[in-house]
Amino acid sequence: MSSASNGSAHGDRGITPADLHNVRFTRASMLHPGYADTEVDRLVHRLAEELGRHIAEKAELRDRLRALQAQVDETVPPVPPSDQAVRILASAQQTADNYVAEAEEFSRQMTSEARAEYEERVREARENAGAIIQAAQEAAAKMTGPGPMGADAPGRSVAELEEQVAYLKAFGQACRVQLRSYLEALLSDVEKEWGQADPAALPQGPPRPPEQRRSGSENGGPTAFSDNTVAQPPEEVEEDLPATAGSRSSTSPARG
Amino acid sequence: MRANFAKAAATGDEAPLYFYSHLFLSHPETRQMFPVSMAHQRDRLFAALGDVVARVDDLDSLVPILQQLGRDHRKFGTLAAHYPAVGASLLATLEHFDDQWSPELAKDWTEAYTLVAEVMIAAADEATEQPAWWEADVVGHERRTIDVAVLRVRPRVRYDYLPGQSVSLESDLRPRLWRYYSPANAPRPDGVLDLHVKARDGGPVSSALVRRVGVGDVLRLGPPMGHLALDPESDRDLLLVAGGLGLAPLKAMVDQVARVGPTRRVDLFVGFRTEDQIYDRPDLARLQEENPWLTVTYAVSEDKLSSLEHGDVGDVVLRQGPWTSREVCVAGPAPMVEDTVGRLLQHGVPPQRMSSEVFAPSRPGPSVDGEVTE
Repeated sequence: MSSASNGSAHGDRGITPADLHNVRFTRASMLHPGYADTEVDRLVHRLAEELGRHIAEKAELRDRLRALQAQVDETVPPVPPSDQAVRILASAQQTADNYVAEAEEFSRQMTSEARAEYEERVREARENAGAIIQAAQEAAAKMTGPGPMGADAPGRSVAELEEQVAYLKAFGQACRVQLRSYLEALLSDVEKEWGQADPAALPQGPPRPPEQRRSGSENGGPTAFSDNTVAQPPEEVEEDLPATAGSRSSTSPARG
Repeated sequence: MRANFAKAAATGDEAPLYFYSHLFLSHPETRQMFPVSMAHQRDRLFAALGDVVARVDDLDSLVPILQQLGRDHRKFGTLAAHYPAVGASLLATLEHFDDQWSPELAKDWTEAYTLVAEVMIAAADEATEQPAWWEADVVGHERRTIDVAVLRVRPRVRYDYLPGQSVSLESDLRPRLWRYYSPANAPRPDGVLDLHVKARDGGPVSSALVRRVGVGDVLRLGPPMGHLALDPESDRDLLLVAGGLGLAPLKAMVDQVARVGPTRRVDLFVGFRTEDQIYDRPDLARLQEENPWLTVTYAVSEDKLSSLEHGDVGDVVLRQGPWTSREVCVAGPAPMVEDTVGRLLQHGVPPQRMSSEVFAPSRPGPSVDGEVTE
């Protein structure tokens, strides 16, 4: 028997038509003419297996083809949505948008009205409170005023003290403004000189120690005084060296 | 292409309405990436497209915009697979509103859109080393005034940003509505961000953040953006001018100077309408106490009884000048920023040393110029 029929061809490659053409069986023997029947049996057995495999594979492929076909049929529908569908969805969306917008508008009106009302109430309350306190102070002044006039301890009136506080605050503010003007003028002067000497160095700004003002006297709080006459317009002092130089003397007592 | 786009744009709301309906019908899975009400979304779509069409000949300026858009779209859950869907619906829309639609136009638009999509997808892919969004736990919620709350949120994963930048955020209470807020602190070791939120009348997100969100809730944060920042090279003294909630980014800068330096004099002016609107006074007082280089001045514009400085904050700033050698940052509502910047320019502050940002109510996101709002 030739190579084709022996076991080596068995396995994954299966039997090819060429294999069959090349099959040669051994003559059995003188006693039994014809092919050796074991070889024939083996071949028939293998052919039967092979045929079975092919049939199964064919069925499997057919199934797969059907599934794929179905899938293709399903996915074809990316037919663009019809204009009518688009219109329906569009109007539904618009309706929803309008409801949301209305709800937002309603809430906006409600809250802004409530807020206006709240602010008005608070303002009124604060004004009332202010008036009451003022009245109380006046009453207190009237009661205490005429009595211990001669006593020196808390003799000075609230108004007087307030005046003094305002004066001191204004004075402090004036000192600050002038000192700052002087510093800024100095800085811009240094910058100018620096820029002329070494223009490349200018963008980084002049090196300087962080000037930390002693703001302790102001107690760190907000500079609390209303519009007063002392806050000079900065333009006047800015870059005006004589003025700022003169102001130096007036600032030194403030520091001490 | 421009003429064709102009036709669609001229229909106003019609074209974007058609576009989104078409998109949702052909790709229903994209609907969940958008808010319930699409009204604002529609305005934005054609504005953005218009910007792109206007710059289509100027790739140098268009590409960075598209890259930013691509990165920013990650937080919406946009995937590369969504781009062709949008392209198909866009083409269908442009065709629907143009009676002179031609195969050549279709080809031009397809090519242009493919390019746009490629740039956006590439930028989004490059950004994948950072999360598309960050979940953040609300760890503190303080109502400070009738309509202002300070939220403390702790991102679960490290979140890097620069003081002065803004953060977009979304809450499950108002899904798919992203709003911008500025952290009011420099990055802290514990990663917690302070967010100052004012409930706008009728504002769905801000009202929810002030009145409904509480400790334990989770917010989603988008990547930080915005151009308000301190020049890292400079150690110049600072002048910071805030109007209302514009205080947040400027307070972050104060915090930066305190944490990182370089130490310099910092004057912070904060303007409000009335004294009881000043929502962050104790903490600013604490900062001022701890840092001798800091001066905080309040201005009230409509409060006759207050003992604080009276007037518009820009006016109050100039009263205490001069400021010509300062680096200046201004943040607040548009009229206040405009007024203050104008005054300071006139005062002699060089424009290159002044930066400003307008904080408008409830703008849904950055424009293509990268500007953001609270």
